[in-house]
Amino acid sequence: MIKVKDLIFQYDKGGEQIVKGISTEIRDGMHVGIIGPTGCGKTTFVRHLNGLLTPTAGEVWVDGMHTADPVAVLKIRPRVGMVFQNPDNQIVGMTVEEDVAFGPGNLALPPIEIARRVQESLAMVGMEKQSKRSPHILSNGEKQLVAIAGVLAMKPRHIILDEPTTYLDPSARERVLHVVNRLHKEGITIVHVTHDMNEIARADRIIVLYEGRIAMEGTPSQVFGHVERLQDLGVGIPKIAEILWSLRETGLDVRTDIFSVEEACKEISSLITSQQKFH
Amino acid sequence: MYTGQYIPGNSLIHRLDPRVKIGAAIALTILTLRGGAFTESFLSAFLIALIPCSGLSAYQMGRAFKPVLVFFALLFFVHLLFTQGKPIPPFPPWRVTVTYEGLYRGAFTTWQFALLICNASILTMTTLSTDLVNGIERLLRPLRRIGVPSYDIAMMVSIALRFVPTFLEEIDRIKTAHIARGATFGSGPLFRRILAAKSLLLPLLLRTMHRADDLVVAMEARAYQRGPRTYLKELSITWPDYAAMTVIAGIICLHMLWP
Repeated sequence: MIKVKDLIFQYDKGGEQIVKGISTEIRDGMHVGIIGPTGCGKTTFVRHLNGLLTPTAGEVWVDGMHTADPVAVLKIRPRVGMVFQNPDNQIVGMTVEEDVAFGPGNLALPPIEIARRVQESLAMVGMEKQSKRSPHILSNGEKQLVAIAGVLAMKPRHIILDEPTTYLDPSARERVLHVVNRLHKEGITIVHVTHDMNEIARADRIIVLYEGRIAMEGTPSQVFGHVERLQDLGVGIPKIAEILWSLRETGLDVRTDIFSVEEACKEISSLITSQQKFH
Repeated sequence: MYTGQYIPGNSLIHRLDPRVKIGAAIALTILTLRGGAFTESFLSAFLIALIPCSGLSAYQMGRAFKPVLVFFALLFFVHLLFTQGKPIPPFPPWRVTVTYEGLYRGAFTTWQFALLICNASILTMTTLSTDLVNGIERLLRPLRRIGVPSYDIAMMVSIALRFVPTFLEEIDRIKTAHIARGATFGSGPLFRRILAAKSLLLPLLLRTMHRADDLVVAMEARAYQRGPRTYLKELSITWPDYAAMTVIAGIICLHMLWP
């Protein structure tokens, strides 16, 4: 479990506070979506969750360990994997397999164990065939999968995704999200920062950040129910919810707490049949 | 594709431990620089025999020489023209003195350099850069006791190599952005071309700094810290490596006996 208590962060003493008091709890195995306009402190906030940044005030605990403790932080990093926005700037190795081996190598694991983990992790993201390739010839989507494999090789309990789909084309985005969903099903906690509401429409919980504070928090239907509030905060809602809201505004009696295509289909078709019966 | 780039293969030389190959290349380099005519002839024969053993073709080896041909010519003529000694009777159209000693020194030095290129090319064409880095790290490891940070050096070298293709792409991108706004590269007088290159350098530098920032964070997130770490591939010395070491030792002995 990741526990954040009254987190405040500023880069320089007397400078502007980037995070202005966030408290929350992320339970094991949850899928949490974090959204908010650019500059709201999303990245700064999540970088506290694996001790990359330490709080100016307040505390962050990961599985009972304090991130400000320099000894504990070495145990926290492998537990909380992090995938970044730019696929090029997080690949260290000269070949795919060596990049995946970077994390376990830092943990000074024996080579046999590293080889096993590299193979397993690459298989999990479906990149085992590219293991000997040089990363620079891969597509951005593939690079991002390699980055995820690199994180998996450390056997993390939690994975933080900091806008990992920004540089990806739609099909690569699908591929990455598919892998993320599978990892979530296997019990890994997912904290997913994004600009795309559709990506987190099925999260267990959504946190909306605004100017360094939590502006809204709840299940997708609770959060996306407040369309006007979200627009004020500078974030949108998933396309499906938007369609259902527009239908409702025209006076139709539809549910608006639906975020999957299949369910929306059912809702709309049942609406159509009931209308036909009516006539 | 650049000079001395790794050529995948499974030859005898490909399979040798990188430490042995690096050691052998250093030994051969020293012998080449110290040797007289006998050693050079012997080394030439040895290196030429090594080319097929490395699974390389004469063409592939020849390409390694292409970028250095101008340098070879320069080397030869400088020795030819500036060595004192017994003059060769001048050819009619030339008003320069050329000496027998100059001819000999020019040819000999060029020969030496050709051997060095050949030697280094065999090493880099048969060894993956990652293996080279690993090999260097292992060779430097005993020096850790006197404060040589072998792990950190290996990390730096491998990151530098990892980012070479990224930088080439980046330069291309910046160039395209410049051309899109009306810049011209590769044309005009030399001075203007140098100025144009300067305008590529600054954006490249800025982006590199930015990239370095990101990379540091990503490395830290993956539990990187200075000092001992382990690798996917652990190096091991097997019997072909011992055989190779024996051959190199033999060549050194030969040089001692007949320099």
